[in-house]
Amino acid sequence: MTDLSPMTALGGETAREERFGPLTLAEDHELALASLTLRRGADLAAPFGLVLPEPGHHVAGDGVSAFWAEPGRWMIAGPGRAADDFAAEVAAQAQGCTVTEQTDGWVAITITSSKGAAPILLLMERLINVDPDRIAPGRALRTGLDHMSVFAIRLGVERLAVIGMRSQADSLWHALRTTAERLATRS
Amino acid sequence: MTRLAGGLIDRATPLYFTFDGRRYTGHPGDTLASALLANGVRLMGRSFKYHRPRGPVSAGSEEPNALVELRDGVRQEPNTRATVAELYDGLSARSQNRFGPLGMDLLAVNDLISPVFAAGFYYKTFMWPRSFWEKVYEPAIRRAAGLGRLSMKPDPDAYDRGFLHCDLLVIGAGAAGLAAALTAGRAGARVILADEDFRMGGRLLAESDPLDGAPATDWIGGVLAELASLPNVRLLPRTTVFGVYDHGIYGAVERVADHLAEPGDAVRQTLWRITAARAVLAAGATERHIPFADNDRPGIMLAGAMRAYANRWAVAPLRRSSDRVAIFTNNDDGHRTAADLVSKGVRVLGVIDSRKDAPRLGDYTLFRGAMVTGTRGRRGLSAIEIERDGRPELLECAALGVSGGWNPNVHLASHHRGRPVWDERLLAFVPGPGGPTGLFPAGACAGQGSTAEALADGARTAHEALAQIDMTAPEIALPQAEDRRVAQQALWHVPGKRRAWVDFQNDVTVKDVVLAHRENMRPVEHLKRWTTLGMATDQGKTANVSALAVMAELTGRSIPETGTTIFRPPYTGVSLSVLGGGDTGAQFRPRRLTPTHRWAEARSAVFTEAGQWMRAQYYPQPGEAHWRDSVDREARAVRSAVGLCDVTTLGKIDVQGKDASAFLDRVYANMMGTLKVGRVRYGLMLREDGFPYDDGTCARLAEDHYVVTTTTANAGLVYRNMEFARQCLWPGMDVQLISTTDAWAQIAVAGPNSRTLLERVVDDFDLSNEAFPFMACASLTVCGGLRARLFRISFSGELAYEIAVPARYGHALMDRLAKLGADLGATPYGTEALSVLRIEKGHAAGAELNGQATADMLGLGRMVSRKKDSIGSVMSRREGLKGDARRMVGLISIDPDQPVVPGSHLFASGAERSLASDEGWVTSTCWSPHLEAPIGLGYLERGSAREGEVIVAANPLEGTEARLRVVSPHFVDPEGERLRD
Repeated sequence: MTDLSPMTALGGETAREERFGPLTLAEDHELALASLTLRRGADLAAPFGLVLPEPGHHVAGDGVSAFWAEPGRWMIAGPGRAADDFAAEVAAQAQGCTVTEQTDGWVAITITSSKGAAPILLLMERLINVDPDRIAPGRALRTGLDHMSVFAIRLGVERLAVIGMRSQADSLWHALRTTAERLATRS
Repeated sequence: MTRLAGGLIDRATPLYFTFDGRRYTGHPGDTLASALLANGVRLMGRSFKYHRPRGPVSAGSEEPNALVELRDGVRQEPNTRATVAELYDGLSARSQNRFGPLGMDLLAVNDLISPVFAAGFYYKTFMWPRSFWEKVYEPAIRRAAGLGRLSMKPDPDAYDRGFLHCDLLVIGAGAAGLAAALTAGRAGARVILADEDFRMGGRLLAESDPLDGAPATDWIGGVLAELASLPNVRLLPRTTVFGVYDHGIYGAVERVADHLAEPGDAVRQTLWRITAARAVLAAGATERHIPFADNDRPGIMLAGAMRAYANRWAVAPLRRSSDRVAIFTNNDDGHRTAADLVSKGVRVLGVIDSRKDAPRLGDYTLFRGAMVTGTRGRRGLSAIEIERDGRPELLECAALGVSGGWNPNVHLASHHRGRPVWDERLLAFVPGPGGPTGLFPAGACAGQGSTAEALADGARTAHEALAQIDMTAPEIALPQAEDRRVAQQALWHVPGKRRAWVDFQNDVTVKDVVLAHRENMRPVEHLKRWTTLGMATDQGKTANVSALAVMAELTGRSIPETGTTIFRPPYTGVSLSVLGGGDTGAQFRPRRLTPTHRWAEARSAVFTEAGQWMRAQYYPQPGEAHWRDSVDREARAVRSAVGLCDVTTLGKIDVQGKDASAFLDRVYANMMGTLKVGRVRYGLMLREDGFPYDDGTCARLAEDHYVVTTTTANAGLVYRNMEFARQCLWPGMDVQLISTTDAWAQIAVAGPNSRTLLERVVDDFDLSNEAFPFMACASLTVCGGLRARLFRISFSGELAYEIAVPARYGHALMDRLAKLGADLGATPYGTEALSVLRIEKGHAAGAELNGQATADMLGLGRMVSRKKDSIGSVMSRREGLKGDARRMVGLISIDPDQPVVPGSHLFASGAERSLASDEGWVTSTCWSPHLEAPIGLGYLERGSAREGEVIVAANPLEGTEARLRVVSPHFVDPEGERLRD
């Protein structure tokens, strides 16, 4: 176990969390990520028993989940496993696939609503150019957000994860919090 | 006061406002224009060129005249149309484009010398002397002909943006729009109904005609209440759909807080990008006037606008309620105004109708076969001259409504080069085929202008649009409405010798059109530019068709033969603030921060932008007065001890797959497949045209696993090119690419003490030269088990490494290295020192890899392998490139006090300073702390054979010259012993 202390993508010792009316924004510092890409001619893998989802979708399994990233590629997510060598674990589960560590390539921000789907939809309407019908629970998209490239994953009716480039964490937080704060002020 | 009875204003609530410093009262529901008219104020501005007194011509967004400066201080907003400025308590407005009081504008002298201000005046007059253009002519013209003034201060308000998606976007909430929205709303379609007005209802609000025998507002209120209750319908009042873009995307601005004195916590405006499967354009129509002599006096307005002021805002454009109003028309619609005014108790002088057979449509005097030939009145209309059967008459009246027919608002329908077509029955252009796909014009904008027609057309069009997306809608019950057939006579202007205005906003008269015709500026595009017709905020909404008709008359061709008017976005002005999306300053664009950003910040680093990245440029220490003191210290520390620099920003691309080696051999100019596992090789990438565009290292971590590094600037480009090659050029290859730039924090540990320092952090790893030589790489652990990657590579020319750890540990590792290396002289260094070190070593960077330098010029010609094919390799051997004899050289200033200026051109001593004798240029320069002299790199003709020669670097822009000695570009350790030590 290393004696170096990790820093969150937003520059803190602990994950940042802020509440704006019905919306809570929380940095998920412990989310492990690894990309899984099928090699040419390979069969579809099933790491941890996950059925890898169709384009635009997200599936959750037992302690892991997966979302589609591009043709032949998925991101495998391991909540609470950022300290582990998650990529090695995924690779062991997906023989013959290309697996690349992605945990620290990204910042994950989870947005939770205490008042149903409406605040989440209002937030998305300001930030993401996507038809709300196309981001129902279980859907995942790679899209633009305030000039940044992100994954938007609808974890549930009241939960949305936005996964952006780690180096842009401050700008992404700014975009999300500005909008959430405005919506809270308006409501 | 000239308030009439009725109207859609809240008379119980007074709103106080000022215009040119005077205090007035209005009511909620008023616009600034209606409130001023209600207070007897008709003079609201001065015209653009002649400074003629002007009042409102219209009651909507087409207004060319009543432009004011709205609000005070930083929120001062020029060129705001008083006709659409919603009144609020405390509103403050000023007239603009005047010199002195509005009533006594000194620049009205321009009107007296108007003959010299004819069309093309500026082009003909201000030709010489050339030097006067910017210093004399332009400021003078701007002062005289400028419109409103900006505050010149930053906008204090917040702006927002967002994205909406719907099945049907309905643009305009008049009769057609409401019928379309209701039809689609009841069908369960997702509907957005947008209207630029603060009150929905469109033209229905301006007319007195009942719907189902009751006031139109009853029906409107019922429909809006139903629409508001439907979860699938969104109402957007105060929202202008200003443009149609590709793939059914519409731009719209919602004026969220423009009707408030200050936005408070709200945003001022929101920019919406609306993606609509289909759209109904129900934008209505704009009335046109009839140019006649002196037709621009305050009190003369469009007859439909006069009716709107009377019915919706309960005002008549009169100074006193006893004043009389006249109507001048070529069609039946003008008569409606007379009838409504009579019913409101306004004294109507009569209707002057150009038609000899004009029908009698109301209880007022009818002047058949008559035309208005002139007007009187200094700051407002006092009398009109008419001519009937060749006999002139002078009639006293204070206001004149003019109706020359209606032009459908085809603007959005012509945004994708949709050409409007001429409708001879309507004497107007209507939307033609070829407009934006999925946009369906309906109602008055499609030439269906009676209320009954518009209602039915709106519902029918919604059905048609929804059918295309496989939706069916129920028939809705439409109210009984007026369905007049409007007869009209073609009358485009009243002939005469005096000036008759076609375009009020740009002071373009019939005479100007005649002059343009005489000077052969006949195509509409030339007419527009020669006369400035149709420019500025109203974009010719009230002028274009009339001007076209006048030109048609002059050329003897039909109007459609003469040309059409094509409109581009935006429909009305859109502020740059809202287009900007609201983020300003540091948040103007996303910033990328390195893993050690906060560590550097805590050490007072000065940052510089490298694309989106913020990089530490240098770390000032107490006592260092100048940036170079810091940079020199940092560079010396690397040469003598050990330096630490965050190099995370260099692009990292993970390349895996069975064909990874073959793939890299094709994208790199040099061989990469022969690289051994555990080794790193410098690589060069060429563009398809054979010029190098990026360089970096490639590390082989396993048989089928490489990590490619790129320059910071080209990280995205190289990744994109490699993806293109993978997906499109060689899709059969088994290669997987993914960026890992952000995933790994990478720190350069450079200098003679770097090995010693690293030995203090690695876990049981042999760093000896034998075990881990120059250009080795390995996966290992550091600091008690943290996975890491180590590369023995050097940009500085010293013994050096780059160590990578998961990004979350970058901060801690940097701190650990600095602390553990304190006794070794560990010094953080920034991009400035990095640059000095690489110039001293003769390593190319962006200034050398400028896209115009060949591999040979860089001294890297032998890297372009002939043993294989790769992108750009064949093209790199073409004659033009191989024949270039310029080579990268080192340059050192003869006079240590004479800096080398980058960009200077190189000449042989004594050679003429001309293009013919130009022998190259200086690419990069710095003060070398190692040599204690100004040095540089540059490309010089036959450079490698000229070491020792003294040449001249000339900088003609700044008038400087420096004498330089040509040396090897490797100022430091040319044999490369240090980095291999």
